[in-house]
Parts: sequence; C-alpha cells; structure tokens
Amino acid sequence: MITINNLTYEYEANKPVLDNVCLHVKKGEWVSILGHNGSGKSTLAKLIIGLLRPKSGEIIVDGIPLSYDSVYDIRKKVGIVFQNPDNQFVGVTVRDDIAFGLENLRVPRSEMIERIETFAGKVNMLDFLNKEPHNLSGGQKQRVAIAGILAMHTDVIIFDEATSMLDPDGRKMVLESIQALHKEGTTVITITHDMREAVKSDRVVVLKNGHVLKEGPSKTVLNDHEILEKSNLELLLPLHVIKRLREKNLSNERLESVLWALSLNA
Amino acid sequence: MGIKFERVNFYYASVDDKKYLALSNINVSINETGELITLIGETGSGKTTLAQHMNALLTPSSGSVDILGVKINRENVKKKRVKLNPIRQKVGLVFQFPEYQLFEETVEKDIMFGPKNFGIDEATAKERAKKMIEVVGLDESYLSRSPFNLSGGEKKRVSIAGILAMEPDILILDEPTSGLDPLGRNALLNVFNTIHKELGKTVIIITHDMNTVLEFASRVLVMRDSYLVYDGNPVELFQENNIKNWNLDVPDILKLTHELEASLSITLPCIPRSRDALLAMLEEALT
Repeated sequence: MITINNLTYEYEANKPVLDNVCLHVKKGEWVSILGHNGSGKSTLAKLIIGLLRPKSGEIIVDGIPLSYDSVYDIRKKVGIVFQNPDNQFVGVTVRDDIAFGLENLRVPRSEMIERIETFAGKVNMLDFLNKEPHNLSGGQKQRVAIAGILAMHTDVIIFDEATSMLDPDGRKMVLESIQALHKEGTTVITITHDMREAVKSDRVVVLKNGHVLKEGPSKTVLNDHEILEKSNLELLLPLHVIKRLREKNLSNERLESVLWALSLNA
Repeated sequence: MGIKFERVNFYYASVDDKKYLALSNINVSINETGELITLIGETGSGKTTLAQHMNALLTPSSGSVDILGVKINRENVKKKRVKLNPIRQKVGLVFQFPEYQLFEETVEKDIMFGPKNFGIDEATAKERAKKMIEVVGLDESYLSRSPFNLSGGEKKRVSIAGILAMEPDILILDEPTSGLDPLGRNALLNVFNTIHKELGKTVIIITHDMNTVLEFASRVLVMRDSYLVYDGNPVELFQENNIKNWNLDVPDILKLTHELEASLSITLPCIPRSRDALLAMLEEALT
C-alpha cells in the first residue's frame, strides 16, 4: 500500500532527520512506528502525506508516486490524525467539521449527509453532530477527526501520537476506534511511544536518529529490551517482569502465559 | 504560608450567556515547601483552572486564594491592591503546551527571557540558562540552536528550563510529560523529584499517568466536574471504591499486582509503588 524508498529529509543542511529510510506497509496492515523524541517519526508522517518535500528518495502510495502533481490524489488515499485534538478543527459544529473534507472533494450534498451520518456512527459520535467541537472532550475530538477522514474513504489512516494528550478514558475510546478500523480492513499506521498501543499492532518499525533500527512482528520486537533501550523506550511492565524472573530462574510457563495475556490487554 | 484556597468558585461565561462552573467550592491548603502533589481528573474536570488560580493567572469569581501571603480575590485584583508580578516569579507555572511559547532566536535567549523579565541581570541569567539546560537533560550545545528546529520533546524541556531559571519557590507543571518518550518522561520526572527532594520545593504536577501518581506523589488531588473530590495519599486513593466513578485508571503496577496475586495465589506484603519495588516483592514471594 505504501512503499518508501531511500527517503532522506533534513531541516538543517547535512543534519538528516531521516536518512535513507526504506519501508513497506502492506494493504490492511497495522504498523506502529516507534522511536525516541526527535527520531524522525512525525517527519516521516508529514512526508507521506506531502506536507514536507523529501530531499531525496521516493514515496509510492497505492501505485502512485508522490509528487507535486499527485499530492492531492495521495491525500484522498491517506488521512492523518494529529497529536493535539485542538489543532485540527475547522467547522462550527461536528457535522460541519466532518463535511469539510467532503466539500473539498465536491461530494454531492445528499451523499455527503449520508456519509457524515455513517461515519459519525462508526466512531460513536452520532449524538454529537450538532454540538460545537470545543465543547467535546479530547477523546471525542479525536474521534470526530477520525470520522472526518473515514468519510473521505481513505485507504490509509496515520495516527501521529493521536492518544498521547488524552486522558485514560479518551485514550481507550480512540484505541477502540483504531482497532475497529483495522478489523474492517483499513491500513493503519500509528506513530507512538506507548507500548500498550504498539503491542496491539501487527508489525513494529523502530526508528533511531533517522534510521530504521529494527523492524518485525510486534510481539518479537517489543520483547527485545536491548532494541527498546537503545531507542529510549521501555518494556511493557508484564514483559519486564518475565525478563527479570527468568534472570532469577523464577519463571515458568504458566506464569509467562499469564503475563503475556496481561501485556496484550494493557 | 503556601497557597490556601477558601470557598473558591470560578465560572467562565459561555456564548449563550450561561455561567459555566469550572471550580465549585474549593477549599485546600498547599505547603510552601516539601510537597510533591499530583493533580488528576478527567479532561474538563477543572485541573488546569485550579492550577491557574495558584499563580493568580485567574481570579476567583467568589472566595479567595492566599498565595504566599498575598490575598487574591475579586475586589483586591479589581482595585489593584495586590501586585501580581512577584507571585508569577515565586509560583512558576509551566503550561500544557509550553512548546508553543518559545519565540526567541536561540534556546539560550528563550531560557533567559523569564529571569530577565523579573529583573535578573544578563550574566546571572546566562549562568542559569547553562545550568538549567543540563537539569532538564539536554547539553550545552543546545543553547545556540533555534528553538523552532527542535523536536516536540526537546521544546518541552527547553520551556521547562525557562521556568526553572526563574527559580520559583513553587513549581506547577500542567501535563509536563505528555508526548515524551518513556526515557525522557522518566528523566524529567526524576528532575521534578530532585527539585522536590533536594531543594525542598513544592512541586505540583497535573497528569493523566497514574504510574506517576503512584510512584512519585506524596499527595494527590482529584478533580471531578469542578469539585475537589479527593485530597490524600496516592496508595490510599487507589484502594478507594470510588475511583471507577471518578473515571480514573488504576496504575499498571497495581493492575499487574492484583492479577498476579489472583492467578498465582500469592500475597505481596505491601503495595508496590514502582516497577523495582514490584519486582523485588515478587521475587521474594516466588522464592
């Protein structure tokens, strides 16, 4: 679905934030991009949707190479939810806000009304359509942002630390929405340093100083404490417990299976 | 002296002319030294509004807040009987999105801005910038960089260094670690803990991270729908039956403890407050 080849980007000359990054995201896959602050995660997201122009390298979305001419076609395929829920509202009501993207796509009015209701329903925000966005909680705002993107029928949604500013309840609501989308076949990229979120995804890519440090199935990579340590990340608590008990020869199979189950439900 | 809230109500006016209550009858005292308080509660419960009363950024609609001996109420502020500027220096408040407040050409100038504003001379302010950039875990080379080319986490640290450079007596931080990677979060929490322990200052942290509450706080305040519903010890709080009603999460450490105790039929001697404490107790229980 998304292929990234030899991608390099720099804000300041000769200080690449991303250095020759290669990455492939399959259709329907949920990939987490992890890394320390300043590792280049958010820059990568901005490059994929054409908010920034790479210094070199290519980005191909669903067969279309990203370029000056194709950027609007790509944005019909890839949507993004940003970290701060307050920075992405344009509409006076929730309904207006979801409509905004559709107006840009010149979707006919009757279809627009239908799509707004369908997708507001998908994220459990149907009752809020006539409310003003600034009266919503952080989790509700993020779900409106998701509905706005879904309504545009994008194939891919990027979540750029979309839960990091939410309270526990809001985080849970948004995470449930992400899981539901993934189940229905949307390709999902979550940029995060929340291990509880990453462990639910299919595959993890760890960035460090602009390079791909490690890539693989979530359960393998997130259990690799050396890799995590190198990236300012930490083991999920239950996996940390397993590691420590193994070192002390106190672990057993039953204990580990209990702990693994806990780590998936964290 | 500290900070003392007496029967404080605060309301925002909304578009339809209705009053929107953000603080309801708040009575609480905070010591000037020695406390590490976490302030928690759902989005919209009044945490930030409460914090903004602590350095007189907001004035109560009714009731009063005594801040280090200065009585802040509607009348005193209206008639300009109280000087607010010294309060702002003594009670440092780091906003929720401090990274939006950076504006200078270099990180150094940005950190120096606060102290200079409060009358500190250039040389001393420079010295403090150098010291504080290290306190927040960045090296000196950052001082000459532009704040706008830093990552989100780095910007956050620079803005915290700017407040620390004012050397406030009481430090209030509104969600200081959201968006930081785990190592950065732990490093910063340790900085706050050091300020609290070694300098003896009172530190107040607004957070959604229950592990922070359990591990670091000596006291926890819970806001719920504009009311202060709990004021006490964090270990006790998480034993309360009410925490579900207050929409609070249980810290990972406690969840894991309960699950392991149930599935392994063991009992840990105490409630662990950190990862290390949990591991040590678990080892002992299993040997």
